[in-house]
Amino acid sequence: MKKPEFMANGDASADVIVVGSGVVGGMIADQLVSQGYSVLVLEAGLRIERAQAVENWRNMPFENRAGSDYQGLYPQSENAPAPLYFPENNYVHLTGPSASSFKQGYLRTVGGTTWHWAASCWRHTPNDFKMKTLYGVGRDWPISYDELEPYYCRAEEEIGVAGPNDPALQSPSERSKPYPMEQVPYGYGDTRFAEVVNPHGYRSVPIPQGRSTRPWNGRPTCCGNNNCQPICPIGAMYNGIAHVERAENKGAVVLAEAVVYKIDTDENNNVTAVHWLDNQKQSHKATGKVFALACNGIETPRLLLMAANEKNPNGIANSSDHVGRNMMDHSGFHCTFIAQEPLWIGRGPAQSSCLVGPRDGDFRKDYSANKMILNNINRVIPATSQALQMGLVGKELDEEIRRRSIYGVDLSISLEPLPDPDNRLTLSATRKDPHGLPCPDIHYDVGDYVRKGAEAAHKQLEHIGQLFMADEFNITTSLNANNHIMGGTIMGSDPKDSVVNGECRAHDHANLWLPGGGAIPSSSVVNSTLTMAALGLKAADDMAKKLAGAA
Amino acid sequence: MKMMTLKGMGLALFGVMLHTAAHADDTQAELARQGKLVATDADCQACHTNPEGGKPFAGGYAIHSPMGTIFTTNITPSKPFGIGNYTEEQFARAVREGVRPDGKNLYPAMPYTSYSHMSDADIKAMYVYFQQDVKPVESPTEETALPFPFNMRIAMAGWNMMYLDSTPFKPDASKSAEWNRGAYLVNGAGHCDTCHTPRNLMMGSVTDKPLAGGMVGPWYAPNISSDPVSGIGNWSQAQLVEYLKTGRTAGKNQAAGAMAEAVQNSLQYMPDEDLNAIAFYLKNSTPVRDPADKQSADTFGKPLNVEEGLRGAHPANANNTLNSGAALFSGYCASCHQPDGSGSKNQAYPSLYHNTATGLGNASNLISAILYGVDRKVGDTHAFMPKFGEGSYVGQLNDQQIADISNYVLTHYGNAAIQVNAHDVAVLRAGGPVTLLAKLQPYMAPAMVAGVVILLLLIFWLGRKRQRAKS
Repeated sequence: MKKPEFMANGDASADVIVVGSGVVGGMIADQLVSQGYSVLVLEAGLRIERAQAVENWRNMPFENRAGSDYQGLYPQSENAPAPLYFPENNYVHLTGPSASSFKQGYLRTVGGTTWHWAASCWRHTPNDFKMKTLYGVGRDWPISYDELEPYYCRAEEEIGVAGPNDPALQSPSERSKPYPMEQVPYGYGDTRFAEVVNPHGYRSVPIPQGRSTRPWNGRPTCCGNNNCQPICPIGAMYNGIAHVERAENKGAVVLAEAVVYKIDTDENNNVTAVHWLDNQKQSHKATGKVFALACNGIETPRLLLMAANEKNPNGIANSSDHVGRNMMDHSGFHCTFIAQEPLWIGRGPAQSSCLVGPRDGDFRKDYSANKMILNNINRVIPATSQALQMGLVGKELDEEIRRRSIYGVDLSISLEPLPDPDNRLTLSATRKDPHGLPCPDIHYDVGDYVRKGAEAAHKQLEHIGQLFMADEFNITTSLNANNHIMGGTIMGSDPKDSVVNGECRAHDHANLWLPGGGAIPSSSVVNSTLTMAALGLKAADDMAKKLAGAA
Repeated sequence: MKMMTLKGMGLALFGVMLHTAAHADDTQAELARQGKLVATDADCQACHTNPEGGKPFAGGYAIHSPMGTIFTTNITPSKPFGIGNYTEEQFARAVREGVRPDGKNLYPAMPYTSYSHMSDADIKAMYVYFQQDVKPVESPTEETALPFPFNMRIAMAGWNMMYLDSTPFKPDASKSAEWNRGAYLVNGAGHCDTCHTPRNLMMGSVTDKPLAGGMVGPWYAPNISSDPVSGIGNWSQAQLVEYLKTGRTAGKNQAAGAMAEAVQNSLQYMPDEDLNAIAFYLKNSTPVRDPADKQSADTFGKPLNVEEGLRGAHPANANNTLNSGAALFSGYCASCHQPDGSGSKNQAYPSLYHNTATGLGNASNLISAILYGVDRKVGDTHAFMPKFGEGSYVGQLNDQQIADISNYVLTHYGNAAIQVNAHDVAVLRAGGPVTLLAKLQPYMAPAMVAGVVILLLLIFWLGRKRQRAKS
């Protein structure tokens, strides 16, 4: 068991330095410590344990719960805040036509944001890798689906994904291995929904998800607490902390409240060290052979920009001036209605089935694809808020809550923004975090491609509403964030207009990797975590190759 | 004509021979079938099949005994690595007397002290099964290398003089056939007594307290004598059979650790008559009371809602507030076992009150369930509680946290007279209490020759004394 070395002054050295301890950082740490390398992980946020989040959620006021405040219950480091919205802490300042659509909820905590994800584990489709070639929009990836496919399999194995093994229910069905576990069974609502909409081409499929449908590697079976967000109380859902602790048990060292702010490079522009501030605001240095920054789609570009040095005056890895550009998320909206028949939404986990019919097609030349999640979060809270607004009391109130919970439907629609260099993260000139480091500013405009895609989705939803003879049919007008932050360290084959190559290795630095959402060059319409994990594993292989002196 | 006759006779004779051969095959096949049942009763695979993806009966499973790690052997019919060269006599001697064909002694991790009572017929059937139906695995297993002096297998000969009762099982004519079948299974093939009869400082069975309970690694194999307070006296016959068949009986207990393995690998496959015989025998066994027990272990506790006193005590973004057994219980246990400890409606997540794991005078099974979880496959049901020790997928709890949770559970849902501390948890985390014999091991090496001589003399003297006492 090879461990990082620490000097008396708190400085450290290790073969591998990973900044960020989320799903990607944790997996890379686990991969490389398993191969015998010493690994140091630096995490800006606090270390928490599961039960703390469980208890905090139970202590949360109704207002926060009704507003889906999944951020506020996670204790924050005083020095490294995450974006908070109840009330807003304005840590990320948003501007531009779609500013309000980019309110991202990500955690700065050991284990990362998968503490409160919904565990959807989608793959991009093969066509998503060739947007420019096939549809004349966006960018092509420098790697193909086939090149990433083995890493998708590995990521599914690492996360423990339950998915459909019937190719007719897979999206995409190009797979070299079966899912590690059988799919989460459809609830009544999923079955009924599929029966009604499938004849019209909407194609309901089970969402592949990182939760157990049987005891799996020490992880219990999901029992349907329906509490995935903000925390699975029984650990049946994958959280990044699993890989962090696995790596620690093998000898990796994870330092919490270690905020990296500065990066040293040598004459060949290899990274030699990163510097971090501890919770006493003391600075320390970590030297290593290979470095991975896996801090999240906002924090990684922010760090690269703030770490600008003499040789890299525009920021680390930024000779292309593309660090912080092309910011994307699956800007989306919700459609709610009361069906004419009971659907009993909300049994089982928060995620269950999804309509993927409009996920791909020739129309992508003109407007965005979409996917429509049949949101399986129990409807009791919104039903209660609505019934209270109606002024009901007593038995009538109870009956109305029951009716709305049983008949209510919420579809969550994701759209596909294109990479646009003007959608840009920059460092604030005025706002600083408690360490005195610049906070991020982001300019965001979803663009006409998404707006047209939203219009198309509206028509599809109106049709679905008619199929269910919907009452109180409503589509939210403003687009909301989905916390799938992509593009800020975009992948490409040309170092002039991209930041990393197909291995997530920085074009500018032979021993620096920037794996995760930031590298993703086409957003598709599906949740990004599995792709991030697959890219992380691919980067880990490349890092191991470099450590072995082979690349 | 003559030729024809001869030819006809020849054919007839050939037919007879064929028939005899077929008959012999039938007998062998029947014996092998029987033998498979006996091997299931005896649960050979529990140790001889490595649960981590090992091939059936290929051995290599590491048993962490207090004396050191013992690797189980390959008992497939492989000639170089298994028991392919064993004669039936040699097989019988290994199983019943703990002696290999080369004359070396086995360690009593192999429960030959129980198997010694197995019948010739069962041994024969098992021999035929292993030689004929088990697939040979042509690979060696790791050699057991216990530290001095336990590496001296000859010492086991002395130990056997003291603790091996090699008298074959003799049915008691005054008892029913069911009782006798139960006695044979409990003390022989099924070797319940191997774990459930306490062991003394020399790791020998305490024969005047049969089935009175004892530690097996980090788990406690409870008293299963017929005593209504300390044992299973207040379980009905049907409840015992349900437990043996499924590993759980609501309001009583759920099998974990080695008992879960016994149910999963062996007991669930036994015919109902045998399970009834075991239950009948246990119900009619000599009651052994622990004077410290005032109330039977399944009668403790009542529902109590942990929410009161917790909700609203801290802001919703608090950190480091899991500083009581109640808070930890609420955060880690209550989602499944419910805030009032009553478990789920169908008891798939069991109630924590009226549960012997929380009511026994020994809290090891409560602590070890938290440390190691529960994992039991019976039929199509996979009962699973995640572990909370090292490598937990859900949360790695430290010794103090587990002690705090245990004390909360003991106080409200279990035997409130019992309280545990972090050290108790640490002992079980390290594999269970270490016996005096193992504790002495480091001092034995320096004492070298003198120590060995004294030990052997002691064993010889004790053995003689016991032999005399018997006669």
